[in-house]
Amino acid sequence: MSETLWQACLNRLQREVPAQQLNTWIRPLQSEEGNGELRLFAPNRFVRDWVETHFYERIQELVTTQRPQQPPAVRLVVGSMVGTPEATASNDVSPEEQPAAVAEPAASSLNPNFTFDTFVEGKSNQLARAASMQVVENPGGAYNPLFIYGGVGLGKTHLMHAIGNQLLKNNRYGQVIYLHSERFVADMVKALQHNAIDAFKRHYRGVDALLIDDIQFFAGKERSQEEFFHTFNALLEGQQQVVMTCDRYPKEVNGLEERLKSRFGWGLTMAIEPPELETRVAILKRKAEDDSHELPDEVAFFIAKRIRSNIRELEGALRRVLANAQFTGQAITLDFTKHALRDLLALQDKLVSIENIQKTVAEYYKIRHADLLSKRRSRSIARPRQVAMALAKELTSHSLPEIGEAFGGRDHTTVLHASRKIAELRQSDTGVDEDYGNLVRTLST
Amino acid sequence: MPTPQLALDFRWDESADFDALIEGPNTEAVAAARAAACLPGGPLHFHGPPATAKSHILQAICGAVSARGSAAVYLPLGELCGYSPAVLSGLETTALVAVDDIDAVAGEQAWEEALFDLHNRLRELGVQLVTAARQPPEALGMGLPDLVSRLQGAVLYGLRPLGDDERLAALQRRAERRGLALPAASARYLVQRFPRDTRDLFERLDILDEASLRSRRRLTIPFIREVFGAPG
Repeated sequence: MSETLWQACLNRLQREVPAQQLNTWIRPLQSEEGNGELRLFAPNRFVRDWVETHFYERIQELVTTQRPQQPPAVRLVVGSMVGTPEATASNDVSPEEQPAAVAEPAASSLNPNFTFDTFVEGKSNQLARAASMQVVENPGGAYNPLFIYGGVGLGKTHLMHAIGNQLLKNNRYGQVIYLHSERFVADMVKALQHNAIDAFKRHYRGVDALLIDDIQFFAGKERSQEEFFHTFNALLEGQQQVVMTCDRYPKEVNGLEERLKSRFGWGLTMAIEPPELETRVAILKRKAEDDSHELPDEVAFFIAKRIRSNIRELEGALRRVLANAQFTGQAITLDFTKHALRDLLALQDKLVSIENIQKTVAEYYKIRHADLLSKRRSRSIARPRQVAMALAKELTSHSLPEIGEAFGGRDHTTVLHASRKIAELRQSDTGVDEDYGNLVRTLST
Repeated sequence: MPTPQLALDFRWDESADFDALIEGPNTEAVAAARAAACLPGGPLHFHGPPATAKSHILQAICGAVSARGSAAVYLPLGELCGYSPAVLSGLETTALVAVDDIDAVAGEQAWEEALFDLHNRLRELGVQLVTAARQPPEALGMGLPDLVSRLQGAVLYGLRPLGDDERLAALQRRAERRGLALPAASARYLVQRFPRDTRDLFERLDILDEASLRSRRRLTIPFIREVFGAPG
């Protein structure tokens, strides 16, 4: 059997080839035997060429040693024996190798776990969620296109998959395609290379709903923008639903054509904000529950307070805690959690020093670092100083006297006052609230 | 002067597998690595200073996956970054992708986008991704926030250097696997007198191995002194 033959060769090569080379070039190969051939599939042309140059002869020798009577010929090809669409869709596959690769561009599949039920709703995302539900109720209707924007790791992709999954579940829409904009670009480049652009157009214009993620990656790619523009128009005219996500408001994406920016705003544009503490706690508890763990409140609050940049990082931290609990068989307590996350927390402490906060705030408000420490009391200096003090109180574990000392030897009551003042202003002045949120994100990432 | 006799050109078992790994203070990280090799799950990221066995762990995972009959690939970006990012294409056809030294491509837009794309493709198809670098994701200096946030979603394991006793054990295990008789006193001498760096120790062992073959001498302390000179 081919597996045995290739495994036997691998066992020999393992003794001859340094471990690193083996892992980089030989182990990614998949084998299939038949018709007097041992076909070795390389994931891309780069690996294939390398193996051909450096190891081909030796592999053929080993195969001959293993099967001296009728040694199969070794053939190196790009692709995969399981024939996944992705395997045939690599950019660098030549037409002779994969002639049928382009007729049907590879669609990314919807993740069945990303549904409205598994989406944890909070103040920061409830509007985007409601709009997404509306799209499912009335696809191709008033909210077409739906444009969801917000920072990385805040749940945009989750919402998009939830829309796709629900459309399919409702049986309203037959063909729902979710893909990342990079994939759209890659498919288009491949279609152009293989003179199959008509098939490409037919494919994307024939879908019932197109969900396209992270469209900021279209920036600077004129030919892809042009093609997407036409696809987009065709879909809208046909009342097929388009949902897009982006890391910022459409008009703020540099390198995107004006006509695209303007059309993206035709339907509904919704922001998704970083989750507030309660939502972060709810996300953690839900994820732990999904994994059959109960997370004590104090642990959930501890993680949620310390990790605020995005949901992915929050989930990563939770998985680390759960994995440690599984490996050690210990209960998840606050001390256990602190120990499990010690690297992450140490790094945060390093990044979020008072000095770093001062530098970041000074840069943000375009003032000098020394101004923050000075006695100057003009509004343009005093307000950023108060913001910096409030951030130092919230993001570091320094005592109030230590913070006051770090701000030009001020009293701890000044820090307390600054902190209260900023909390008040955040309620009444959206500008201050937005600045504060931006600074927290910058400092926590 | 007589020409030194050339060492025999045969290779020892140098495979970086789990058996050769001394866990030391990194028990949890190694447990996670072993688990990933058995059952694919969410992405893992190992970080730590040089000589904390990051590459060893990644290769051990690849070896274990391969031993199960599945394809796995190990990509040391420190060495591959001179090539095209196209080396990352098509890897979703494997069962596991291990990308080492990802800090080597920080700030390289084409590489960062290719890594981001790889991350997306692997996630969609449920292929296990394991990465390693000196730093955790947010400190890598990557320019693409989308990539940073995806890497942050990995379970992070900070690796710590081995202590003296653990380095001694690692050295002895390596010598044993290579069929070298390394007396305990000589091993201790190497650990205590030379830089406290596992990789450096292993390289010294390689040099000693060759030197002892050439001169047909045992690995005694006087012989070690002859080869390296008396440490300062």
